[in-house]
Amino acid sequence: MTDTGRVGIVLVSHSAALAAGTAELAAQVGGSEVAIMPAGGTDDGRLGTSIDKIRYALAAADSGVGVVVLPDLGSSVLTVRALLSDGVGLPEPLAVVDAPFVEGAVAATIAAAVGGDVKAVASAAEEARYARKL
Amino acid sequence: MPASCESSITLAGDLHARPAGSLAIAAAKFESSIELSAAGRCADAKSVLSIMGIGATSGQLVTVRATGPDAAEAVAAITGILAEATKVGS
Repeated sequence: MTDTGRVGIVLVSHSAALAAGTAELAAQVGGSEVAIMPAGGTDDGRLGTSIDKIRYALAAADSGVGVVVLPDLGSSVLTVRALLSDGVGLPEPLAVVDAPFVEGAVAATIAAAVGGDVKAVASAAEEARYARKL
Repeated sequence: MPASCESSITLAGDLHARPAGSLAIAAAKFESSIELSAAGRCADAKSVLSIMGIGATSGQLVTVRATGPDAAEAVAAITGILAEATKVGS
């Protein structure tokens, strides 16, 4: 447990509605103490990804103890990778996780809410892959 | 030998996503391992997805079992949240 800020979460999707809706759901389940920032769609509101939106979300989610990024598919992953390889002005530490989008976001939010560090929050999201829902 | 404690509660409502989140957050505060079981399915009370995975519904008996130094406090807290959070309308 940490007494400082909570790890932030950034949800990157092709769809602004999907990123925002997933952020809303994760906040409902995990409480309001965690900064969950959606970064969905292109700058002009179409389906796609925006490096500027992701950069903004990373800065907004960071309270000084790091950020975990969940991309949904395809170019979300590629755009996050491009931003990371650029590497300037990013939160530290930063983890990009390979996880189911909705389940990973919910599990990550709970892990962040209870004071987990970036490693713990990333692990919680990745473990969502193995959680049975039926 | 770590202390172990167990208690059961009949749910007043379904164990939805939101109460599952409250439970996982509360469970994380305890050192003890905490397990929920209902209708033959078990869940780690510290994992929100695991809790949702047991799909416990209204009228089902849920057993809370904790093992560790704060087992009694953990069982009291978790059964309290189960009672409160599954109340119809919450």
